[in-house]
Amino acid sequence: MARVAITELSKLYDGGGEPAVKDLSLTVGNGEFMVLLGPSGCGKSSVLRMIAGLEPITSGKIAIDGEIVNEIPAKDRDIAMVFQSYALYPHMDVFNNLAFGLRRRGIAKTEIERRVQGAASKLGLLPFLKRKPHALSGGQRQRVALGRAIVREPKVFLFDEPLSNLDAALRVSMRNELIRQQREMGITAIYVTHDQVEAMTMGHRICIMNKGEVIQIGKPLEVYRNPANTFVARFLGNPPMNLVPTSVEPDGGAYQLRVGGMSLPTDCWPAETLSRLGGKALLGIRPEDLYETAQRPDERRRIAIARAHVIAVEPLGAETLIILSLEGAAEEVTMRSGRETRLRPGDNATIELDLAAAHLFDPKTAQVIPPVHEEREARWAKAE
Amino acid sequence: MKPPSAVEPSAAKGIAYLRGAPLMAFALIYTIVSGGPFLWVAMMSLRTTPEIFASPYALPSSIHWEKFVDAWTKSNYGTYFWNSTIVVVTAVALLTVIGAMVAHCLARYRFRGNRLVRFVILSGMILPPQLMILSLFQILLEYHLYNTLTGLIIVYVAGHLAITVYILEGFFAQIPQDLFDAARLDGYSDLEIFWRITLPIGVPALFTTVTLNFIILWNEFLYAVVLLTEDDKRTLPLGIMHFMGNHQLDVGMVATGLMIAIGPVILLYAFFSETMIRGMTAGAVR
Repeated sequence: MARVAITELSKLYDGGGEPAVKDLSLTVGNGEFMVLLGPSGCGKSSVLRMIAGLEPITSGKIAIDGEIVNEIPAKDRDIAMVFQSYALYPHMDVFNNLAFGLRRRGIAKTEIERRVQGAASKLGLLPFLKRKPHALSGGQRQRVALGRAIVREPKVFLFDEPLSNLDAALRVSMRNELIRQQREMGITAIYVTHDQVEAMTMGHRICIMNKGEVIQIGKPLEVYRNPANTFVARFLGNPPMNLVPTSVEPDGGAYQLRVGGMSLPTDCWPAETLSRLGGKALLGIRPEDLYETAQRPDERRRIAIARAHVIAVEPLGAETLIILSLEGAAEEVTMRSGRETRLRPGDNATIELDLAAAHLFDPKTAQVIPPVHEEREARWAKAE
Repeated sequence: MKPPSAVEPSAAKGIAYLRGAPLMAFALIYTIVSGGPFLWVAMMSLRTTPEIFASPYALPSSIHWEKFVDAWTKSNYGTYFWNSTIVVVTAVALLTVIGAMVAHCLARYRFRGNRLVRFVILSGMILPPQLMILSLFQILLEYHLYNTLTGLIIVYVAGHLAITVYILEGFFAQIPQDLFDAARLDGYSDLEIFWRITLPIGVPALFTTVTLNFIILWNEFLYAVVLLTEDDKRTLPLGIMHFMGNHQLDVGMVATGLMIAIGPVILLYAFFSETMIRGMTAGAVR
């Protein structure tokens, strides 16, 4: 178990250009499962490789349990990593793959035997100990890769998109396996992925990155519910959050939002902040916070009604996605509806927006406008 | 009812044979052209020189196994064989270890001057041996390595390093970087990774270079004839020349000497040809 503290970490690769990682600071607590989430090329794997010691650090500090490891070679950091390609040694059988790291550390033969058997039985690998990697299925190889990390009992686990080579069904079961092992052993883990489902389900906390920078760090649902900017709002959630351009218009002493022909109250946001927006804002609302009339749960009170035209209906089995254009507005929005919907393409519909769950972003900075919190917090507390 | 495009199975087979015919004919001619002379020499090695002069292409009427004993005992063949073995085995061993290390470095590490080093080493492949023989002669004389097996070993290692590195680097470069990273995190140093990861995974490529170098060096003549002049230092290919000088071209004994010289190469190729071909064509890690 260990605490990993990263301070103002930067990485510039040879050949110049933009830095792959820019002034990243992050602390991962003892036994915590931290997910680094971001699109391809956002620098998350570079961060992981610098923690592992596989990539030199351009500037900044990485400390494990208070000790700065910048100059400590990878082999002495006591870190185990699971690679996307599994990186199993093709010339060794499963037993030797698992034992390879232990032998180097001068651990007694009987102890190696015990640990390998233990990990193999935990992961269901006992029947395959004498097999070479090429004779294993993708899921079994993944288990061996995980086992190789487990037997080491390292200070920190690093995972570099370990599930992305597996098929969908296997991915779900391996995901649960991985969570179970990490929670059981209580070893600090840093997990890199671009898959938001993995991030939401596995991490104690998520660190969302873009273009080498940290955008937001928080618990999965916190980040989902309170995105710091439009990038997070669009990146988390499938389908992503609807972002509708609105105009902010004075209305007596207060303001109101106008979307097409519809006026929305703004009492969720402080008037003082709204006054600085210059008349424009982006209204963010998740597909699940739009309702067909009469389908909304009763406790949702802060409702706005909008008229819309149905463009497409996409039944997904458990739910239906409905693509709409709001009356008088150019943008399309997506609504998540139940399995049974009466709406058909071409229909005109009345839909309801849950304003308490809506977000407002400054279009110039893309940052969120902090809401007046009480009501929203109360509702989520109730939901949890 | 059959679909209209279906062809009778026997007819399809016939077409397949016809398509293969030119290839088969080529393979047959190639086999005759390359195997014929070998068989001819093999037959001559069992016949005496007068028999051969009487009828060059005849099959052996009586088989003279004693010629092999004569070649070994009456001339200096035992010494030549031993010299060849020392030179070739040592040179191939050194080539394999040094070549693999160089190839590992070039394939795995990015360092300043990486490209220049690769260019200089690989340019050794394009220089013909005739070009270097005079300077090599001079250098070996100066370092008192002329007429020594050590000198010839050094020349062989230097001359064949380029092709060895070329073959091995191509193979090693295909080993995924993740394996090396995993081994580093498992606690291994760079040298240990070379011994425990690169070499074992590179076995097919190593077999290729060992076989190739062995065959070429075992038959090497030019450097040996210039750099070794004392009789008890000579290698096998020079020993065969011995029969030409002392016995006014004793064709029968030359053939016998050739068969003795060629034996180890044939054995090696018989055992390792498949591994060698695999090493030249296959990827490193499936």
